[in-house]
Amino acid sequence: MNLRIINANLVVKLMGFYREKTTMFFTFAFPIILILVFGTIFMSQDSMEYRLCVQDLDQTNSSAQAVEILELNGKFKITRVDPAVNAAQYVRVNRVNLVLVIPKGYERSLIQRMMLNDQNASVTITYIYDPSSSSVITKMQILNSVLAVINQGMSGKPPFIRSVEESILTRKYRFIEFFVPGIIAMSVMTLSLFGTVDSDTELRQKGIIRKLSTTPITRTDWILSNILYHFILAVISTIAMLLVSYAVFDVSLHIDAWLLAFILLDVFAFVGTGMILTRFVKEAQSAAAAANAISFPMMFLSGSFFPIELMPGFLQKFARTLPLFYVNEGLRASMVFRDNMAALRSAAIIGVFAAVVFILGIVATKWEEGK
Amino acid sequence: MTKETAYAVEVDRLTKRYGDLPAVDDISFTVRKGEVFAFLGPNGAGKTTTVEIIETIRPPTSGKVNLLGMDVTKKKHDIVHRIGVLPQGFSSFDRITVRETLLYYARLFSVKTDIDGLIELVNLRDKTKEQYRNLSGGLKQRLGIAIALVNNPEVVFLDEPTTGLDPRARHEVWEVLLGLKKKGKTVFLTTHYMEEAELLADTVAIISKGKVIAMGTPGELIERNANYLSLTLKPIDEKVFEIVRKMGFGPVLDNHKNIKVRVEHTYDVQKILNAIKDAGALYLGLDVRKPNLEEVFLKLTGEALREDPDEMETE
Repeated sequence: MNLRIINANLVVKLMGFYREKTTMFFTFAFPIILILVFGTIFMSQDSMEYRLCVQDLDQTNSSAQAVEILELNGKFKITRVDPAVNAAQYVRVNRVNLVLVIPKGYERSLIQRMMLNDQNASVTITYIYDPSSSSVITKMQILNSVLAVINQGMSGKPPFIRSVEESILTRKYRFIEFFVPGIIAMSVMTLSLFGTVDSDTELRQKGIIRKLSTTPITRTDWILSNILYHFILAVISTIAMLLVSYAVFDVSLHIDAWLLAFILLDVFAFVGTGMILTRFVKEAQSAAAAANAISFPMMFLSGSFFPIELMPGFLQKFARTLPLFYVNEGLRASMVFRDNMAALRSAAIIGVFAAVVFILGIVATKWEEGK
Repeated sequence: MTKETAYAVEVDRLTKRYGDLPAVDDISFTVRKGEVFAFLGPNGAGKTTTVEIIETIRPPTSGKVNLLGMDVTKKKHDIVHRIGVLPQGFSSFDRITVRETLLYYARLFSVKTDIDGLIELVNLRDKTKEQYRNLSGGLKQRLGIAIALVNNPEVVFLDEPTTGLDPRARHEVWEVLLGLKKKGKTVFLTTHYMEEAELLADTVAIISKGKVIAMGTPGELIERNANYLSLTLKPIDEKVFEIVRKMGFGPVLDNHKNIKVRVEHTYDVQKILNAIKDAGALYLGLDVRKPNLEEVFLKLTGEALREDPDEMETE
């Protein structure tokens, strides 16, 4: 191992990267764009207000009060629908997913129940809805719970079962705080995997590796400078992501040595995977396709974008076999939950994977021409 | 262990097989220190395989190769410091400038190099800040030669340094190679250009189908393998062809209707000219010359050496 040679190789790689503006943009800006887009979407969902169309066929003070109660709930922005129009037609023409219809005779039934104590008096509120809409079910569930509260209030008796929320975390975390570590893990994986595969296949195809094999640089020097190069890019990219997350979303994430450790393990694991791929894929275009085939399932199934608990059981089992899952878990354990034991468990698993893959990668890297 | 020897390269019964296919078939030759040695052969003859074995890039199947007295299969680490290599189809890092590329290779060798002197030698003064991807084919090759010299090597290997270049760029590379020759460097050149070998080489080895079929100075090869004269006549009368044919010389007509005749002695030329004169026939001009390496090669191998003109790159 020669540090001068490793340094020379590292400098050339960094200069080449700096001068390739498109690659630089996608390496650093793409994960930031993901954070901004998903962060904005889910931040607004935390305080989401649904549009609710209400058709009041009763047109009385009581029915107007019922609409006001819905409005005051804070979850709905009410649009009033003319009682003369056909509600189903309204849904189709105006492309709304639900119209709540208060029937004629609402006030009369209410008086019968409240004043005359007629326990059989009731009204049926109708939801005219478009089942093809993905959010309409949520909207109806919220409406049902609001109506349940109203019914409970009207009964005049306190509820028997009450509920209270107790988080396992000392403070309340938002979606973005779970999302940022996942994006860090994913972007370090893609830059290490694609960086290794693209650069190694291109240099091999152009004969630069063959030329280098007639100089004092050894395979070890070459691989170590590659690791260092990807680690530097990964650290810069992570700093940029964290700065944007703090500045735009005011995230609350804990940063300590675990972050660097997981970045390093992520780099080793996926540079190693890239080196193995390069052995079997000879051309740059096929190399990119092969890297995609590995990185795409990893991105979507390992819990970088959304919790794996949302997936069917067999996919959850599969997710637990993916190395990126443990980088995600480890980063969340250290940055969100501050759970050192959980971080250590994840680090041990990804560490073993990284070591095995990296050793195989070294063996697979062809420095001299074949026998 | 390094042993003192007058030879830069010693190849003894070298064979390289890919499966059952012999790319290099039991060849032996030596290259003296300080000479320019040209390895001449068509594509697929085994030139690059041989040179890559000598350069330590590729292991041999059998045989022995010593470079500066060292076994190439055992002393790679020592050898790479003492050789410079321009591989076939040389390429470098796209976005790194000429000067930065030379500095990079100098750092790999951990040597202090006169980068400006090298740039001067290969005439790239105006291109020092140019990135590799913006250089023309000829300039790239000149940079490749400069890189091969960055560690001040004792033996320089240049694998087809002018392939794909246009004639002007090719002559510019030859100027650089003549400069190396003047400096007394041992140069191992592989080429399929006859004029390149004739102009630059002290010794030429012709390789065909993995075997060295002839070796010597260009003059020796011509003398040994093409001991005849080529007479070309530009006739006015059509009967000139018939006159020569009747004398038993076997004339042939080229595309320009010139008559080409192969004769053994100068007095055969005189005999033909006298016969034409006696018959009262006329000719516009004549040319008598000794054959060149290309004709020697054609005679020895029956294969043409010229590359596909479509591959030519313009500067």
